[in-house]
Amino acid sequence: MKLTKMPPQVVRLVLLTVGIVGSYMVAKFLLTPASFGQYGFYRGAALMEIASHPISLAGQKACAECHSDEVELLARFEHKTLSCEGCHGFGQAHVDNPDVKMEVLNYSHCVKCHEANPSRPKWHKQINPKEHYPGDKCTECHVPHAPSEVP
Amino acid sequence: MSGEITNVVVEVMPHFEGFVYPNEATHHPLWSVLIVLYPYITGLVAGAFIMASLVRVFNVKALEPVYRLSMLTAFAFLLCAPLPLLFHLGQPFRSYQVMITPHLTSPMAIFGFVYAWYLMAVLLLELWFDYRRDLVEWSKTTSGFKGVLYRLFTVGVTDTSEQSVKLDHKIGHILSIVGIPSAFLLHGYVGFIFGSVKANPWWGNVLMPIIFIMSAMVSGIALCVLNYMILTWIRRRTVDMRCLDVMGMFLFYALVVDAAIEGLDWIHRVYSAEEGFQLMQYMAREKLFYTLNVGQALLGTLVPLLVLGGLQLFRHRVSDLARRRMYFASALLIVIGVLAMRWNVVIGGQLFSKSLRGVMSYKMEFAGMEGWFMAAVVLALPFVILTILVKLFLSEKLPTTGVGSDQPAATPA
Amino acid sequence: MSNPLSRRNVLGRLGALAAGLAALPVVKTAKAAVQKVLVSSNAPKGYDPTKHKWVMAIDINQCIGCGSCVEACKKENKVPEGPYFRTWVERYVIEKPKPGSGEARGQTHVDSPNGGMRGYPELPVAKEDIQHSFFVPKLCNLCHHSPCVQVCPVGATFDAPDGAVLIDPKYCIGCGFCIQACPYGCRFLNPVTKVAEKCTLCYHRITRGLQPACVEVCPTQARIFGDLKNPIPNDPIQEFYAKHRVSALKAHLGTEPRVLYAGADREVQ
Repeated sequence: MKLTKMPPQVVRLVLLTVGIVGSYMVAKFLLTPASFGQYGFYRGAALMEIASHPISLAGQKACAECHSDEVELLARFEHKTLSCEGCHGFGQAHVDNPDVKMEVLNYSHCVKCHEANPSRPKWHKQINPKEHYPGDKCTECHVPHAPSEVP
Repeated sequence: MSGEITNVVVEVMPHFEGFVYPNEATHHPLWSVLIVLYPYITGLVAGAFIMASLVRVFNVKALEPVYRLSMLTAFAFLLCAPLPLLFHLGQPFRSYQVMITPHLTSPMAIFGFVYAWYLMAVLLLELWFDYRRDLVEWSKTTSGFKGVLYRLFTVGVTDTSEQSVKLDHKIGHILSIVGIPSAFLLHGYVGFIFGSVKANPWWGNVLMPIIFIMSAMVSGIALCVLNYMILTWIRRRTVDMRCLDVMGMFLFYALVVDAAIEGLDWIHRVYSAEEGFQLMQYMAREKLFYTLNVGQALLGTLVPLLVLGGLQLFRHRVSDLARRRMYFASALLIVIGVLAMRWNVVIGGQLFSKSLRGVMSYKMEFAGMEGWFMAAVVLALPFVILTILVKLFLSEKLPTTGVGSDQPAATPA
Repeated sequence: MSNPLSRRNVLGRLGALAAGLAALPVVKTAKAAVQKVLVSSNAPKGYDPTKHKWVMAIDINQCIGCGSCVEACKKENKVPEGPYFRTWVERYVIEKPKPGSGEARGQTHVDSPNGGMRGYPELPVAKEDIQHSFFVPKLCNLCHHSPCVQVCPVGATFDAPDGAVLIDPKYCIGCGFCIQACPYGCRFLNPVTKVAEKCTLCYHRITRGLQPACVEVCPTQARIFGDLKNPIPNDPIQEFYAKHRVSALKAHLGTEPRVLYAGADREVQ
């Protein structure tokens, strides 16, 4: 069929439709990110972008590289399930540069877990800080890395 | 670290009762007043279009005076429908991605296509075919900027032979038939956006799309009643009472169906009393008392139902003036009532925690993206556009032909 | 414009279109190359997401509600201050029934002020009126049928092949639909970046062979983390599954969470 034989308004419509759909296809092709569909309906590159966030919490292994004696001591006693950085603060900055000091510990670290609370499981050792030697430092009687030892 | 975080404890938390998930304890609901306006505006589009198609598809001759006005109303509101969504996005400049990589399992991804289809393949086309012959005539007789505009809108097609105009009518008729399911799709899917959220018992509901469609028709017809009456008043013309009575009749029947389905939804909710029902009761009693019971149910549904229903029975005993007043008041109440319904759905669904253990509060602010002012601007914009459209395409000075040429301007005083 | 549709005109347009289409693959290759360079050299080397299936499990009997996990998560993932949490700990207090009420149990109180990061206020009931009380850590439930992924309009959130449910922060449009769709309240809109955010299982850590921050700092091993595709000797996650009868949160919604809980009460939702 010749284009010119069709009614003019229909020709305009067909041309417009082709133009709109065509520019949509071109835009879709150009604007779809390169890695889209690599694993599924998303940008595959996003996986490694999310994975490349910096780390602040170094992890026990990094601590053991220099402080293996402390880590080994900890592993022999009740606090063996604790991670170094749970009490000492985030360590990646210290791993990267040993001059950066770790957090200074204080009394509140102990009560955070060991203050008596009826919502806590019964197996967990708890004290009432107002009755249990109030005013004394925990470390006067307890060794944090070896809780069942007496200093 | 410890030092900097401790002052968070004294931060004034937003007001909520019971337990809400920590991420829900924000100052605003995530979807605020703009998302209330979004289904409201889309609903008005769909309703106004259905109103217009009564003339085209169902050949209701009495409604011819409002045909073109309804089409222009639908068009003006459709142009503004995506605005509240766009303003609400966290990253509005990425919105094009919805079209580029549409995730087809998401009801929201379909929006771009349904909207584009409805705007370009239904409304614009039908308007063009309705107006094509007039545009050619007007572009010859009008000078200046307006004339240039009319010429632009002809897209270079100047054929006004009888055969050509006949074809226009035929295509317009087909478009109108295609347009009805499209209008249902446009608004039904908006209902589905909410109805598909199973995490939220207030929203997750199979009836939601149907409730949205029915309330859309009701609000759209009511808006056309208002627009028609206001336009004739501005132009100092008399209202075509036959047209108004027929509009009132359709408004009444649409409202009956709408009220029946919404009533069914509530009866089902109350009877099945599923998980979280106590919370819903509390919401209806306290948090949404005014918008749900007073705004949506009493003023938005019951009163117009009684007034319009009464007019169906005793139309001949009521004077024209009183009838006009009653239609106007009912339409106004319905338009406000449907807005209240959108509020109850959108905001109501976010006033309780998904833990079903607590409720939040929402106090709207005046300024800002989510405030009263912004909402008023978004709601006023379609009326501004409609005014311009009416000036351009429903001018009293220009002769019209074809479907709906018996427009308000042409009705003799 | 006498006849804008002359054959020459049409042919000319078609020719230009064809030339444009031919240039497209070149553009696309160039784009891919640029994108590859732009991906940070900081990314872990040699990690293959198809060779892992990460999962977490929660042992409610072990949780002491110290809040270390919440604090570590906020810090490690730079989560903004305020009501924004990738993980949090809820406290449940179930009262004894009122004498003579004929009920099995009394009222349930739940709270999680600041996500449990800074401890909990005084109990809402006297100690002797408590029937049960316990802490429940919450995080992304890593659903098999993630409602959040289903509703994302652009494919900015997804189930990664290795089991993590992630959000592409460069592609998210911030519509909030996923946040509405998550039944567990695990997602939030980051007020700074204006995109949705959630637990990534510390994706930057697990891809380097480290544990998620919350698992690392948990003093009681209430959080168990593992790789279902690569079991290790005495794998804690396998031991957890063998030892406990487990349940999932809001199972009736059919999301099929992969995060399983041991010791969850019926009140835990």
